[in-house]
This record gives sequence, structure tokens and C-alpha cells, in this order.
Amino acid sequence: MNKFLDIVANNRNIFLGLILIFLIFVFSFIVPNFFELYNLSNMTQYGIEIGLLAFAEALIIISGGGGIDLSVGSLLSLSAMVIGVLVGRHNFNIWVAVIFGLGTGALGGAFNGFLVNLVRIPPLLVTLSTMYIYQSLALLVSVEPQFGNPMPISKFPNNYLFIGQSTILGIPFQALIIFIPIFFILNYYLKYTTFGRNLYAVGNNEKAARFSGLSVEKTRFITYLIGGILVGIAAIIMTSRISSARPDLGENYNLQAITTAVLGGVSIFGGEGNMVGVLLSIGIIVVLYNGLQLAGVNAIWQMGALGLILIGSALGHNMLFQRAERLQSMT
Amino acid sequence: MKKTMLAELFKRREFTVTGIIIILAILFGSLSSNFLSISNITNIFIQISSIGIAAIGMTMIIVTGGIDVSAGSILGIVAVITAKAALTGLPTPLILILGIATGALLGGINGSLVSFMGIPPIIVTLGTMSFFRAMVFQLLGGRWISSFPDSFRRISTGNFLNIPLPICVMFFLAIIFTYYLEYRPTGRYIYAIGNSVEAARVSGIPTKRVLLLVYIFAGMMFGISGVIVAARTGIVQTNTGAGFELAVIAATVLGGTNILGGEGSAIGSILGTLLLAIITNGMILVNLPALTEGLIIGIIIIISVFTDIMKLRRRGYQYE
Repeated sequence: MNKFLDIVANNRNIFLGLILIFLIFVFSFIVPNFFELYNLSNMTQYGIEIGLLAFAEALIIISGGGGIDLSVGSLLSLSAMVIGVLVGRHNFNIWVAVIFGLGTGALGGAFNGFLVNLVRIPPLLVTLSTMYIYQSLALLVSVEPQFGNPMPISKFPNNYLFIGQSTILGIPFQALIIFIPIFFILNYYLKYTTFGRNLYAVGNNEKAARFSGLSVEKTRFITYLIGGILVGIAAIIMTSRISSARPDLGENYNLQAITTAVLGGVSIFGGEGNMVGVLLSIGIIVVLYNGLQLAGVNAIWQMGALGLILIGSALGHNMLFQRAERLQSMT
Repeated sequence: MKKTMLAELFKRREFTVTGIIIILAILFGSLSSNFLSISNITNIFIQISSIGIAAIGMTMIIVTGGIDVSAGSILGIVAVITAKAALTGLPTPLILILGIATGALLGGINGSLVSFMGIPPIIVTLGTMSFFRAMVFQLLGGRWISSFPDSFRRISTGNFLNIPLPICVMFFLAIIFTYYLEYRPTGRYIYAIGNSVEAARVSGIPTKRVLLLVYIFAGMMFGISGVIVAARTGIVQTNTGAGFELAVIAATVLGGTNILGGEGSAIGSILGTLLLAIITNGMILVNLPALTEGLIIGIIIIISVFTDIMKLRRRGYQYE
């Protein structure tokens, strides 16, 4: 038993995997249609959007220096609105609009990165400010000139909807063609490339990284930029799935993305965490949300349960970690 | 001697913020004759009282190097509990005590997790933010509460020496906590912890207990805000206080509290709150669309922090 605890303590992903299996087990008993294909594909679609934001958040937190991004949800709203307004009100070609939406995400991420790394304002404050700014811009962009009010847009061409609504071999298109490749690319980059190793080095010990000749600012700036692009991709998938764009699309995602990343084992102090852990964490959150929803629990308790899990996982991790440390100091 | 004191005064953040407030007040006053009317000024102060009181608590937390994003949810729970108590006809002083005690309890939960369990404040309060919000929903059962007895509404409509009660409470607390933070040993410990926990511990400060105390104090402040908000708006819903924490953090930071810890004052945070309120109020008076509010608040936070950092750099401070 003790040996088992040690393994779990030393490998957070096993710990997360066990939670995920436990949740699936519980819900498959409580909820009769949990394993139905319709439900599974629903879960996947939801998980992909929150997942891309969580990946963005994870990269930014790993980059250290107090790295955190409170603005991902607002940026999602803004990117989605840019796509919607260009298509719905200015009759742009949908793919041109999509490029603009992706560009908005990249620009938003780059602006955060610029303020953090070149102006050197702490990330928490930068993204608190840009959370307000992007949200406000999303509202301003969505204003219907005729009425002077923010209005949602649902005039998307049919040839756009395949991204979020079609399936390949029963698997949602966006999972197979977008999400899974992104996961593997990010995983590969973090593990096997110089950029990935630089990212961990910068996050772990900024001074040491600087002394060994790494450009801390450049590495972090690129991270915020990639984060912004991931948010832009999430905006595309989301607008296509619900075939509309609203200025409040990302409202609840700001904090959800952080919770997902941290639950996935990304250390809030930087330099620690991996994509597999975040993926498992996305799984946990999606299963939990979906299970509670199907069990008829109010949506607000999905967040409430998430909060408990976040604190519980930090507590459990701390306790196991302290145990491991105690054992180490004994030997 | 006098000259250096004056020079010190000019360098203080509170001085700069006051200057900006005066300039903006003159600007908006000349653009709209209503702005500087007694009723509008009273109105602004009543609006800021709940955020200002909470900002005093947030200041202490941020000074220790922490953060509390659960403030809005704590406010929500206290609002629900006190509103329910008001409906049962509990006397107002008891309701107030109940509200403050509830706030202290919830703040204590955050504080114990931060200090004794060693979980980073952002993680703890992110978690409790969602959990406390779910509790608000549970306590309300999906409905809302309104039509409180007049005795309860008087918490916000009553006057003391012709000044509305919430404003009196805010200034009273600002004075108490300025004294506490500047002159009491425990108050000084809070700054010491913010500068370096390790150094504070080595010099014999009971860091864990002080941290817990800070979160309890802050919870009490959020509780008082909760009672005031419930009494002022006359309605408590599931989303009462949602997003409140960000306005409070913004006000605190505007008032010169360093997000990295170790620096900040209660008076500064009240001034930050006032500045924020003048901007939003003035924007309405000069007919700027309300949608630009977030844009302007965001830009102001960035500019104010930017000037702080420039100042630190001139002093030779190395940003890590």
C-alpha cells in the first residue's frame, strides 16, 4: 500500500488517471445513458474548446515569472465576434474572416506577451486588465449599428459548419483533425525540442536560464503568442459548432481554463507540468460536468464541484508530496 | 526637514491618485454641471462604499503577496444569509454581527488553506470562488430574496451626522486599518511577510497565524460589504457579487498596492476605488457608451502599474 502511495505521489498523471477512472465508474452507475454515442460526442465537443484554452493556460503558467492568463475567455469572445461580424455584417468570405479571427487571437496573445515581457508588468495584472479590455472590445465589435446595442450574430454559411458539427468515423471532426494533432504537436514540442526545454528552464529558474544564455523574454513572448493562437482556434471551433457568435461566449472560461491546467499538475510557480496531465484533467472536468448535468444537478454545482476538486487535488498532492519528502529525508 | 517631508509627500502614490481625482473632477465638472452637485457626489460615495470596504481587506491580502478572487462569492453568501435573517425579523445589530461572523468564517477557510496547508492563494480562492457561489445558489434554492423590512434597508439609507451610514463605515474602517497597518506590530508583520516570508519567519514572526488573521479580517470586510450591498440593492440573487472581486482588485492596485506584496495602504485603496468610480460615473455623464467602461478601466490599470514600475526601475529595482 505504501509503495502504491509512493508511485502515485511521484507520478501525478497516474493520480489523475485514477480520479478519471473513478468518476467514469461512478457516473456509469448513476447515469443510464452516460455511454451513449450521442453523449460521448457531446462531451468531446465541449472538452475540445475548454481543452484548447487549458493548453494555452498551461503553456503560459509553465513559462513562469508569475505566468497566468485571466484573459483567455475574453479573448475567445473577441475572436469569435470578429469572425461573426466580418461574415454576418460585412459579408466577408468565411475563410478570410476565420483568418482575421485567428489573427485577433494571436494579436491578443502577443499584446499580453508584450506587456509582460517588454513593459514588464506582472502577468496577473496584465491579463486582469486585458480581460476587461478584450471583453469590452468584444461588446463594442458586436454593436449592431442600426440599433446601437450589442447583438449576437448567427449568419454563418453552411460550408463553415463542418468544423464543429461533422464527424469522421463517428469521431467529431474537430477532435480528429484539430485537437488531437495539436495535443501531439504540443506534447512533442515540450518534450523533445529546444523550445520546450527552454520553456521549462525559463519557468524553473529564470536567473539560471538567463546565465546560460537563454532569452527569457523571447521564450515567454512566444508562449503568450502561441496561447493567443490556441484561443483563436477555440473561437473558430466554437462559432462553427453553435453557428453563432455572442460577445459573452467566453465569460466562464477565464477561470475554468486556469482550474483545468492546475488540476492537470501544472505548478502555479512555473516550470512544471505536461500536456498529458492537462489532457487527463480535461477528461476529468468534462466527465464531471456531463455526469452532473445528466444526473440533473444544477449547472452552478458543476463549477462548485470543480472548485472542491481543485482544492482537494492541491491538498492531496501536498500531502503525498510531503510524505515523499519525509521518506526521502529519512533515508 | 520640512522640505524632505514635502518631497516624500509628492512621491507618495496617494498623492498622485488624489491629483488625478481632482483633475478628473474638474474636467467632468466642466463638461457636465451635474457632476459636482452634492447629490451626485453623495451618490458616487455610496456606490464606492461597498467596493472601498472590501478593498481594505483585499489590500491586506495583496500586501502579504496573496490574492483573493473569492471575495465576490463571500459577499454573495453573506448577502443571502443576512437577507434571510432580515426577513425573519432579527434586529439589525444582530444581523450585522451575523454577516461579519459569516465573512470571518469563510475568510478563515481560505486563510487556513493558504497558511496551514500551504496551497497558493490563487488556487485556494479560485476553488472557493466556485464553491461559495454554488453555496449561494443552494441557500437561495434558485430563487431571489427581496422586500426586506425597513429596519434592514436603513443600513444603507440611514444617516449619521447627515452622512449616509455606508460612507461613515468606510471611513471609520479606513482610519482603523490605517492605524493598525502603520502602527500596530501585527500590522507591520503583514508588510514583513509580503517582503519576504522567509525573513519574517526567521525573525520570529508567527507567519502562519498572521496570514490566517489577514484572511479572516478580509473576510469580515467582504461580509460588511455584503450586508451593505444587500441593504442597498434590496434584492439578493444567485449572481449577487459576481465579478465584484475584479473591481476590488482593480481598485486596490490603482491605489498603489503592489501585486508582488509588501506595499500598499488602506487609504490608497479607498482613493483607488474613488478614482475608478469617478471614471465610470463621469463616462455616463459625458455620454460615453457604457460598453467602453471595461476598456478604459483596463487601460488605466496598465498605465498606473506601468508608472509604478518605471519609478521602481529608476530607484534601481530589478524586476525578477
